[in-house]
Formats: sequence, C-alpha cells, structure tokens
Amino acid sequence: MSAITYRDVRFGYPDGPDALRGVDLTVPTGDVVLVVGPSGSGKSTLLRAANGLVPHASGGRFAGSVVTFGRDTRTHAPRALADVIGFVAQDPEAQFVVDRVEHDVAFVLENLGLSDVTMRRRVEEALDALGIAHLRGRSPSSVSGGERQRAAIAGVLAAAPAAIVCDEPTSQLDPQGADDVLAALVRLNADLGTTVLLAEHRLERAAAIAHHAVLVDDGRVVGTGRPGPLLADYPGAPSVTRLGRLLGWDPPPLTVREARARAADPTGLPVPARVDGDPLGAAHPGDDGSPAPGPSLVRAEGLRVERGGRTVLHGIDLDVRAGEVVALFGRNGAGKTTLLRALAGLDAPARGSVTATVAVGCVPQDPNTLLFAPTVRREVAETLRLLRRPDPGAVDRWLDALGLTALADRHPRSLSGGERQRVAIAAVAVGGAPVLLLDEPTRGMDAASREALHDAVVAHARTGGAVVLATHDVELAARCATSVVVLGDGDVVASGPARTVLAGSLFAPQVLRVLPPFCTVDEVAAALATGGAR
Amino acid sequence: MGAAQGPGNGGSRRPTEVDGVAARPWHAAAWLAWAVAATAALQLAPSPLYVALVVALATLVVAVFGGDSPYARAYPVLVGLALVFAVMRVALTALTTHGGPDVLVTLPGATLPDWLGGFTVGSTIEAPVVAQAAYEAFVIVGIVAVFAACNAVIAHHELVQGLPRAFHELGLVVAVGVAFVPTTIVAIHDVREADRLRTGGRPVRRGRLVRQIVPVLERGLEHAITLGESMDSRGFARGGSTPRERAAAWCGAAGLAALGGAFVALVAGESTPALVCIGVGTGAVVGAIALASRGSRRARYRPRHLARADVGLIAVVALAPVALAGLTLAGDDRLAWAASPLRWPALSLPAVLALAFLAAPLVRRPVPTPAATRDPAVVATPATGPAVPA
Repeated sequence: MSAITYRDVRFGYPDGPDALRGVDLTVPTGDVVLVVGPSGSGKSTLLRAANGLVPHASGGRFAGSVVTFGRDTRTHAPRALADVIGFVAQDPEAQFVVDRVEHDVAFVLENLGLSDVTMRRRVEEALDALGIAHLRGRSPSSVSGGERQRAAIAGVLAAAPAAIVCDEPTSQLDPQGADDVLAALVRLNADLGTTVLLAEHRLERAAAIAHHAVLVDDGRVVGTGRPGPLLADYPGAPSVTRLGRLLGWDPPPLTVREARARAADPTGLPVPARVDGDPLGAAHPGDDGSPAPGPSLVRAEGLRVERGGRTVLHGIDLDVRAGEVVALFGRNGAGKTTLLRALAGLDAPARGSVTATVAVGCVPQDPNTLLFAPTVRREVAETLRLLRRPDPGAVDRWLDALGLTALADRHPRSLSGGERQRVAIAAVAVGGAPVLLLDEPTRGMDAASREALHDAVVAHARTGGAVVLATHDVELAARCATSVVVLGDGDVVASGPARTVLAGSLFAPQVLRVLPPFCTVDEVAAALATGGAR
Repeated sequence: MGAAQGPGNGGSRRPTEVDGVAARPWHAAAWLAWAVAATAALQLAPSPLYVALVVALATLVVAVFGGDSPYARAYPVLVGLALVFAVMRVALTALTTHGGPDVLVTLPGATLPDWLGGFTVGSTIEAPVVAQAAYEAFVIVGIVAVFAACNAVIAHHELVQGLPRAFHELGLVVAVGVAFVPTTIVAIHDVREADRLRTGGRPVRRGRLVRQIVPVLERGLEHAITLGESMDSRGFARGGSTPRERAAAWCGAAGLAALGGAFVALVAGESTPALVCIGVGTGAVVGAIALASRGSRRARYRPRHLARADVGLIAVVALAPVALAGLTLAGDDRLAWAASPLRWPALSLPAVLALAFLAAPLVRRPVPTPAATRDPAVVATPATGPAVPA
C-alpha cells in the first residue's frame, strides 16, 4: 500500500509562476524517501502538498490530487490530517507554540482531544523516541539547534502519525545536530515503521539513510530510484559518489564505508599518480596558480573576548594575509561567530588586540537581517549608495561573481535560503572591503549556490583579498581554504595549512578518507589527467 | 503537589520537578496576583517615592526570576518605552496646560481657535504643571514596569492552561502573540548589527529606519506564517466548534461588551446604568464560562495546580493593597503627593512596610538549570567524534 499518492499535481502560488507542473509520485509505506533538487525546483511545495498545507495554507492554483493514507487533501485540511501525517518545517526556531518542550509535544495531543492518560503515555514515548526526555522542562529557545529540531519532530510524532514529512530538517544545524536528527529519523523508521519523506541539500548523510530518492527539477519529478545510481550524476551528490563515478565504480558508493571497500580493491583504482612519488601531481596547492600569501590584512593577537560575563575567546592569535582563505572550524558555541565579530570590530576585546590594515566586511549568519530592498540589484546597490561610492560596475561584477545576474530583478524575500545568503554576501562584498568574513555561508545552500560561492571566494582571494569562513562545511573548505583554524571552547586547537590540518582530523573530507592524500574529487581528476598524459 | 501529580512513572518524574517547578518556583496565577496587588498598591500610594520602590522591586524580580529568557530581555525595553511616553505626556501637558505660579520658562505661544478647543499651546511653562504631569506619568510607568516584570517571569502556558476551557484557544493565540515581543526585540538587535556590518562598521543614519524596520517586520511575518502552518499541521482548531461553544462565545462577547459599557458609564458619572451593566456583564461572562466549560472536549496535558505555597503567596501579596487601604482610611496623607505647593514627597514608614509584602516572591529562588547557559554545546556536549558517517 502506498502512503502518499500524487496524481498529476499542478500548483502555482498566488501571483507566482507554477511551482509544480504535473507531479506523479507514489511514496511507499514504511520507507525513507529522499527528495532532492536545486533551490526553487519545487521540493518544498511537493512536501507541503503531502499534508495539505498546499493548497490550504498557501492558497493558489491547485489541480490534480494528493491522497494521504486514503484521505484526499482537497477535502482534508492539514488539521484533519494531523493524526496520520506530521510536518516539520525547515526553521526549528519558528514552529514552537508553547515555551516548554514537554507541553509543546503535548500540543498536538490536546488538539486531537485524547484522554489525559493517553496524552501522558504518548508524550513520554515521543520524548524517548527522539532522546530528549532530559529537555522536557526546558524552553525550546534555550536548547541547541539539533535538540530543537528533534523536539519539533517529537511534537508531530506524539500523534503517532504513519508518516512524517521533514523539509530540510538539518540545513540549519551543525554536523553533530544533523547526525542526531537523521539518526532519530532512521530509528523512527526502523522501530515504528514510520514513513519518512525528507528533502535535503546536504546529501553526505541523508543519502545513506534513504531507501528511495526522488529527483525534482522545475516542478517535475525527473527521476526516482535507488539513491546511489540516481544521485551519481546529480551536482549536489556526496563527494564519494562523484568520486565513484569518476573512477567508474558501479554502483556509485553513497558512504565513505562503501567507497573504502571499493578503494581497497586494487582493480578499482585507476589512479596512476598513486604509484608516483608525489601522489598529488599537478593538484598541489602551491602549483595551482594562486599567489603566495601577501601582507597581513587583519591580525588578532592574544585576543580575549567576554560576553555576558563568560570568556568566549581565550587569547586567540590569528593572522589573515592577502590571498588567503581561512576556514574556521569548531562545534557550535566554540567561539567562531565571536571571533568573526571581534575581527569585524563588533565585539571589543577584553584583552589583546585586533589590528586591521584594510576595511573588513562581515556577512551575518542570517541573511534575512540584511535584506530589505525590493529587488536584488537595489539591495546590492544600496551599500554603495550608503558609502557614497557610485560604482554600477561593481554591482554587476558581484552579481555575476555570485551567480545572481539571472535573479537581479527578483524580490530578495522570494528567493531560497541559499540564494538569499548569496545576495547578503554580494551586498556586503560590493562595499569593496578586501577582507570578507562569512559566518556559515553554506547553510541551506544547494549545489549550484555552493559552487557559485566557492568560485567567488577563490576569485576574491586571488585578486589580493582575503576570506575567513566560519563553517561546518568540510568539503567546501577542502576545496577552497588555504589554511584551517580549529576552535575548541574558545581556544585554537589546531591551525595550519588546510591540507595538513584536515589530513590529521576526524573532520577530514570524504575523499581524503577514501584516497589519501587527495582531498577533493577535482584533485583526483587532475591526477588522472596528468597520469594519462604521461 | 502541582506538576508532581500524575500516574506513577517513577524516576522519570523527578527531572520535571527540577527543571519545571524549581526553575519557576511560583505558579503563573501567583505572579498574576502579585502584579494585580502591586498595581492596586500603586493606585493607593501614588507618591513618587513609593512608585520608585515598586519599580525597583519589579526590576529585582526580573533579575532574580527572569534569567536570561527573551521575555526578561524585553523588560528594560518595555520600561524604556513607558518612560518615553511619560516624557511625551509631560511635554504635551506642559505645553497645553497653563496657570499657577512658578513660571519656569516662557515660550512663544499661540491660542487655537475655539473650534479646536481654544487652548493655548506654548507660552508659559509652570513648574507645578510639569511636576503634576510627571507625577501622574510616573505612576503609569510603575504599572507598566509591574506588568512587564510579570510578563518576564510568568510561564505563559500555565496561564493558558489555567483559563476556563472555552477561552483556551483564544488564550493560546494571545500567548503566541505576546511571544512575538521578545522575538522582535532580538530581531531588532540583529538587524541593527547587520546594518552596521554592511558599511564595514560605519553607521549611516540616512534611511536607516527603513533598512531596519523592513527586515524586522518581514522576519516577524515569516515567523508567523511558519508558526501558523505548524499549528495547523498539528491539528489546532481541529473539528470546529460545537453549537454550545458558539453560544458560549456569543454570551462571553456580550458580557465583555456590557462591562465595557459599564466602564464608559462610570467615567461619565452615570451610576445606575453602570450598576446594571456590571450586573448583566458579570452574569453573561460567568454564564459563558459555565456553558463552555461543560461542552469542551479539550483535555489538558499535566496542568500545574496551585500549590499551598502559591496560595500563601497570593494571600501575602494581597496584604499590601489591604494595608495601604487601611492607611488611607486612617487618614495617612503621605501616600499621595500634590504638586502645588511644590515640596519634597514625604515617606511614611507604615506604607513602606505595607509595600514590603510585595517582596514576598523573593523568599524562594529559582534553581539554576542547564537552561541558564546560552551555549549548551559548550557545557553539555562532550568532545564529539567524527562528524561524517564512516
């Protein structure tokens, strides 16, 4: 039996273009189904149609039918489906009704009108299923992001729905929180048989837990099948999958574990460079045309910052030089954001100093704090207007560098999270600051946005600027960072050239763990090319 | 008692007591009683010294019980807003009310034509007028401070659960609305910082209001939409309303309208219609509550009941207005203050002792929980292993 059946679903938001253009899809009961596709492809709309939020909450033009466990969403509003299907939104912050985890979990039960005894049992079970029983008395705003998202899932799970829909549940989380949330979904699926319909951009973890994948593009389902073969050609596929495709492994691996098994087999390794003395071949970072680090642009010496009576940074030394891309790692709360704020001059050092020889631009974590103009172009131009530096060329240059030219006349608020992030970066970068500080720039970004960001960062550093990225995105850092700093509880625990730090780290990028010492698929490809030329 | 009641599920109940009850030592109803008692005390003893005392007490309550919750961070903002309005009120009164001795300053003035009220704007500003206006405005600041403090320390869901069943959904909507105040304050802070960052740390005043208001409003709107969808997806307002609930709603609305009419009549000095309106209104509201509570299918998850200590607190704080009323009847003329002739307000020891009852909540302290830390990852999470699946 199928859990959710879409039949020729067409939908357009009010005053908007069509978001779904004829979707036929069957979600089998008891499976984890992963929906992938670029930003704006209709993933969210597809998910929101499963419990009737589209069209009941959104309005707009709806045709076709969605049948969820035998109930047609045209005649059943989301609240009438709450007992069979739960919906968890992308932003864990905004979906809490009651300011106490336990009571928020009970919210759906109170609405279903269950008896007191049943409610108590269901709340306990939901808290245990997500492993958050110790948080029951806390306020959702005081717990970590991963815990908050798990609390939100508990809030729909309490109704014991047969299916749960999660719209990018890990995009706002750090790797640890993302792992916890996905592990919880796997457990629900395995233990309770709950059908899970999931949309994700970051596939390193999500692809491995899915039974089926659905590829969505331009409002249509363009492919369904096992995640491995289906995602091999997808630009946002995990690095190991793209590596497997490069090396002709069939089926392409989805996890590091599968990839290592293939790599251990010598016939599966047509990498000639591996036999050479220098396995990196032409891909060595010193040889790829980027200039050696130039003069120091921003320097922190013995930097100590206190916030709210707590010491957040204990004596940090950091030197950012022209031409460098510095990746700043560390778990949430390790002090990454505070370090960026101090470098940008927002937080005054309690001891030590920050010396900037040039202007420093900083892009906050949440791009929504910055965006106010009616179009993307005006948003970016506004910064120049404020700085009284009319330079229309710069606007176009940055729109182009971040791949925003096609979106220039759109309203920033109508864009996806990753696109908004790029607009915010363009709006700050256009001011001409040689040093750019980016706080978690790849949160919620799809493959195309990450690619555009990567290119812009590398180009900015090559032209004499410097970029500091506070990020959890190891794969991006492996591709563009020249040096890596790892923070732990306000201290630098490791720093040095990117390759050295990443190689010795548990956070190593996937390719490095399969084919050391290669860090990225591009390096392997380059080595293959030179090997073939020899 | 209280939240500890319930089916015996053994050890898992203890943490609730620690996190929930001890972190919030007083029931929401007790805090509401405290706020009402403090407001009544302000009305009975409006002299600036007592108002300052109550404001100090409210600030202390927020410091002790508010922790660093977003509601507690909203307290200084709300009090600041009240002060701004107080200053505006004083300025308007001083500009439009004239007469009396002690002219502070003489401004150019103009008398409005009769059809606009015929009063003089500007001209002489007299000290007693300013003092009287400031005195009245300060009482309002005190009342705002009391309710802002109550808002900072109260558990809103306890209040919603304590409402008569018929008003549960309305109460929830109000509580959710109240929750937007602190979120908006956080958003304002973030947006201001982002605006500074945009120009590399240089503040640009021109057009700043638009640059800051739009993101705050749009963030709030997006938050509201997500919240609405979350509530809808979780079955809020499922099943519609029964005829009995609709009757109760109409009855309640009529009751509130009658009470509003009573207020208007009281202001107008018509005592007989006011009494009739009060009678009808009270009856209708009580009827609505009774009608709706019997028909409701809504069950409540672990409502917190009033503990003996909560009842005790309500009784103690009620002593403050009772004692002040007694002092008023006994003819203590130092409770209020008059601007003319100008003199320093006097302090009466019995009144200060009466106000001390309002400090009763401070006999208990919240037990700090891990929730008190802003960055749980630092405290709670041990060193994590590989972040990528092997």
